[in-house]
Amino acid sequence: MPPSVQVSGLSRRFGEITAVDGISFEVGESEIFGFLGPNGAGKTTTISMLCTLLRPTAGRATIGGYDIVDDPAGVRREIGIVFQDSTVDERLTARENLVFHGELFGMAKEEIRPRAYHLLDRVGLLDRSNDAVITYSGGMRRRLEVARGLMHWPSVLFLDEPTVGLDPQTRRSIWAYARSLRDTEGVTIFLTTHYMDEAEACDRVAIMDYGKIIALDTPDRLKARLGGDVVSIAGPDNEALAREVRESFEIEPRFENDAVEFNVEQGGEFLPILLNRIEGEVRSVGIRAPTLEDVFVSMTGHQIREAEASEEDKLRSMRRLGRFR
Amino acid sequence: MTVEQATAAAEAGAGVASGSARPATGRASFLQVVRVIWMREVLIYFRDRPRMISAFVMPIMMLVMFGEGLGNSIATLPGDIGYRQFIFPGMVAMIVLMNSVFSGVSIVTDRQFGFLREILVAPVSRTAICIGKISGGATVSLVNGIVMFVMAPILGIDITLEVVAKLIGLIALVSFMLTGLGVAMGSRLRSVESFQMLSQVAIMPAMFLSGIFFPINNVPAWMDVIVKLNPVTYAVAPIREIALSEQLKALPADAPFQITHVDWFGYTLSTWEEIGVVVVFGAAMLTIAIRAIRTTE
Repeated sequence: MPPSVQVSGLSRRFGEITAVDGISFEVGESEIFGFLGPNGAGKTTTISMLCTLLRPTAGRATIGGYDIVDDPAGVRREIGIVFQDSTVDERLTARENLVFHGELFGMAKEEIRPRAYHLLDRVGLLDRSNDAVITYSGGMRRRLEVARGLMHWPSVLFLDEPTVGLDPQTRRSIWAYARSLRDTEGVTIFLTTHYMDEAEACDRVAIMDYGKIIALDTPDRLKARLGGDVVSIAGPDNEALAREVRESFEIEPRFENDAVEFNVEQGGEFLPILLNRIEGEVRSVGIRAPTLEDVFVSMTGHQIREAEASEEDKLRSMRRLGRFR
Repeated sequence: MTVEQATAAAEAGAGVASGSARPATGRASFLQVVRVIWMREVLIYFRDRPRMISAFVMPIMMLVMFGEGLGNSIATLPGDIGYRQFIFPGMVAMIVLMNSVFSGVSIVTDRQFGFLREILVAPVSRTAICIGKISGGATVSLVNGIVMFVMAPILGIDITLEVVAKLIGLIALVSFMLTGLGVAMGSRLRSVESFQMLSQVAIMPAMFLSGIFFPINNVPAWMDVIVKLNPVTYAVAPIREIALSEQLKALPADAPFQITHVDWFGYTLSTWEEIGVVVVFGAAMLTIAIRAIRTTE
């Protein structure tokens, strides 16, 4: 199958600053593809270019075969977008927002209402569909935007920080809806996030920092680059355990948190072998999978700066709820 | 089963069929886009009760305040046209002017609340978006103007249905021109506050120096220049000429000054020529508004 998104050498400069620096990648059909990186890494700039809202300064990209510079109208028909900030009309009802969208995208009249009904049902807003959006909670608005993004049967759905400013439970429900819609609609989902758990849920993740993609793979393989799982064993004589590990497996262990720790591929399968082979007394064992945060830190030398993001998130969620009036 | 339930059931049935299959993608025609944008503006207006009510209250207030208050202390007009009768078409023009220009604020609020992006990412012509916006605002203005005519008999204004019918077309045109101005302003401004400030700065002189309150041919020379440069002047004059056609006919030939009709260096413009100026100005505003929306990111 042809890739639904194809990007090569895409760049965007704002004066002296290079926000996106020659990135290349492909996204397959029906894939959930994530851009992970701190704020200011160039994620939103990339999405804006792919959505034809911003012209690239260099490079090329196609979506569903349409070039983002030569055929923006073609691209726009192929994509649905859920922006970081709310873009629903809160004076209209949920249904009216969807109907408006359908009409704007030239959908046939007889197909708009059934489609709106179907999507409102899928995102669990059917019983509230005739209420003005101003009465909706933040999570409900997001769900409505996801439904609206899918209204015109796009082949790619862009979600720019889809769950910023939402509580954990609502975030999980947005994810459940997004995934089930991917399964039934077969749509490719392209999202940006700075949440680790959100990135973990993607089929493939591109880690972005300072405008460049520094790694691109499945979450599992990205973490595997760190040398598999972190296994730890502890007993009365940790020194002896460490010696045994070194001699029988040719692994150099380290001492951490009163335990012997080392990295192995496939930790789950390794553990029984380890316990069979070791003769000294073992009182506790543990396996910890490395997180994408570990990967990010090891590749960039700095954290994703969660703390810095959260202030901005709060502001954004307030704006999303329309409190800035 | 109520109608609503029946519709819902029909939608549900059809929803199953259409949920999985992606139909061939169409493309909204120019007129479809204009219609859907227009529809939203009108829908939002008719839902806004305070705005609706003020549309009815405004004209009464205006006519009582200006017609009675100001009228009693203003010098008599040539012939026997009462001041209230004279100012009524001006009030119509004023209501249309205010509503039209202020409706440009919708593009600012759309931007502020993000909805403008939803419209701008659609694969549709920006020109159609702009014309839809302007027609929406113009429709609201026209409705407000028509309300004035509905109130006319109650307010003791002498007006025939035939005159009203003629005026509606003209007011639609004037609304379109002035909403064009509002949208052109709105697409350049980022905040509601600055829009309100600027529109007031623009509306005030346009309103007072357009012949709404007094005859334009009886002013000092310096003011005469401004009056003739003011596009609103060319909207007020034909509205008044049509509204007062009967009274103007009865005017004595030796009147000290014309109470309407714009005069260019001794050449008196006909009603149609004045309308021509409105059309030209409207086209210019439309061009500016379209260009502004086209270049919006």
